Amino acid sequence: MGAAQGRAGPGASQRKGPTSQALKDEKDLALGEGEGKDSGLKQSQLKVRFCTNESQKSRGELVRLLRRLGFDISEGEVTAPAPAACQILKERGLRPHLLIHDGLRSEFDQIDVSNPNCVVLADAGEGLSYQNMNKAFQVLMELEKPVLVSLGKGRYYKETSGLMLDVGAYMRALEYACGIKAEVVGKPSPEFFKSALQAMGLEAHQAIMIGDDIVVDVGGAQRCGMRALQVRTGKFRSVPAAGSESDS
Amino acid sequence: MAARRALKAVLVDLSGTLHIEDAAVPGAQEALKRLRSTSVMVRFVTNTTKESKQDLLERLKKLEFDISEDEIFTSLTAARSLVEQKQVRPMLLIDDRALPDFKGIQTSDPNAVVIGLAPEHFHYQILNQAFRLLLDGAPLIAIHKGRYYKRKDGLALGPGPFVTALEYATDTKATVVGKPERTFFLEALRGTGCEPEEAVMIGDDCRDDVGGAQNVGMLGILVKTGMYLLYKPFLKQDGRLHNYLKNVLCRNGRVLSTLIPFLSQSKNKMGLESQGKRQ
Repeated sequence: MGAAQGRAGPGASQRKGPTSQALKDEKDLALGEGEGKDSGLKQSQLKVRFCTNESQKSRGELVRLLRRLGFDISEGEVTAPAPAACQILKERGLRPHLLIHDGLRSEFDQIDVSNPNCVVLADAGEGLSYQNMNKAFQVLMELEKPVLVSLGKGRYYKETSGLMLDVGAYMRALEYACGIKAEVVGKPSPEFFKSALQAMGLEAHQAIMIGDDIVVDVGGAQRCGMRALQVRTGKFRSVPAAGSESDS
Repeated sequence: MAARRALKAVLVDLSGTLHIEDAAVPGAQEALKRLRSTSVMVRFVTNTTKESKQDLLERLKKLEFDISEDEIFTSLTAARSLVEQKQVRPMLLIDDRALPDFKGIQTSDPNAVVIGLAPEHFHYQILNQAFRLLLDGAPLIAIHKGRYYKRKDGLALGPGPFVTALEYATDTKATVVGKPERTFFLEALRGTGCEPEEAVMIGDDCRDDVGGAQNVGMLGILVKTGMYLLYKPFLKQDGRLHNYLKNVLCRNGRVLSTLIPFLSQSKNKMGLESQGKRQ
C-alpha cells in the first residue's frame, strides 16, 4: 500500500528501486507549502506515505479534503490511528465505548460497541464536554481491568482560530482520574511508524519523516530509527514550544 | 516523623466526614460537641470548589453543627490569598456559587487561570481559552487536584483531571492550593499557633486528608465514611490508590469507623483485609 504501488497516474510506473523514502504529516502539506512541494516530492523516485494523527475525520473524508486543496493523495497512502486501533480492538476482542468525533465514526462501523470493555478516545472536538468525559470515566471505573486506547497523544495543534488542546490532554485527564496508563495508537508510537514503513516495504533507515511537531513527528521517527525534518509551519514556534521536551 | 507532642489542635474535614451532601453523618454532631468540651482547638478544613464559606456555614448550621465562620479554612480561601499575593487577574474556571469568595477580585483581561470544579465551564472552547492564556505565560492556580468525587448518581470527575490536562498541554505545573498541599495545612494551623506535631487531621480521604497531614508532620486519621466507602470497590483497578491506602495504614495504623470511637479513645487497628468486610 506504499505510494508507489498504490497510486495510479503519470509518473507512478517510472518509480523504481527508491533508496530513500518519505513519510509526511498531511497537515503540513495543507498548512504549509501547498501543491508545488507535494508534486515535487511525488514526482521524485521516492515512495511517499502520509502518516497522520488525524482523529477527527475518517481517511475518506481526509483524502477528499486534501484533494479539494489540490493534493494528489489516495486513501491507500494514508496511515492513520483509527484503522490501526480497529485492528487492535479486533485482535484483542475489545468492544469500545467511543469518545470520538462524529466524523470518525464510520471508521468503526465494523466494530462491536455493545457492552463496552474499553474506551477509545480521540480528538472529539466539541464532544469533549464534561458530561462525555465523565461517561468515559465511569465506563473505565466499572471495568475490572480498565483499558484506555488513545488515538494519538498530542498536546495541541493549530487551527485557523488558534491553538487547540489535542487528545493527549484529555488522555492525561482520564489517566489521572482512573490511575491508569493509556495505550497510544498513532505518532509517536514506534508501532505506528513501523506499520507505515511496513506498508511501504522499507526499513527505518531508508526513510525520512517530515512534520511540524518536534515531539510527535520528529522525536517519534528518530526513536524509531528514522531521520526526520521539522517544517516551520503549523504548530512550529520559533521559541522552544511548551511540551517540546521528549515525552516518552 | 518528629516526636508527637500533647494534642492541641484538631483539623476536621467537612464533606464525607461531618456531612454527605445535605445529610449529617450519623453521630457527627454529638462527636463534635464532645470534641468541643475538651481543651483542643478545632478548625474545619475542606477542599470545596463550589461552595463559598457563607454557603458552607449555612448548610452546617442547618445540620445543627456548632461552627463559626472564622473556624473554616477552605481551598477557595487559599486560592484567593494566592491571587492577591501574586496580584493577577484570574480567569475563574469555578462554579458560579463559589464566586462570592472572589468578590472584589479583578477578572477582566485575565493573566492567570484559577481552576476548580466547574462542569458547566469544562467545555472544549473554554478549556482552549484557558490553555491559550497559559501558553502566553499565565500562572495556573488549582483549587485542588481531586480525581473524582461521589455524586448521588455515582462517581464523577473532579477538577484534578482537567488540571492535569492543562498541565500536560502547556508543560507547566499548577500551583495547587487545597489539600493535600503542605501550605494548605500549615496555613490552616497558623491561626491556632500550634505546630504540626501538636495537631491531628480527621478526614475521609486517605490521600488528601490523611496523607497530606502526615506529610507536614501531623497525625492523620481516616474515618470510614464518605470517600472511604468508595475506595474499596476500586482498590483492584486503581493500583496507586491501593498502594497509597496500604501505605497510609502501615504508617498510621489508626482507622476509625466514625468520629465517635476516636473520641472515646477506641483504637481500631485494622488492616486492609478487615476493612474489606465492611463492604
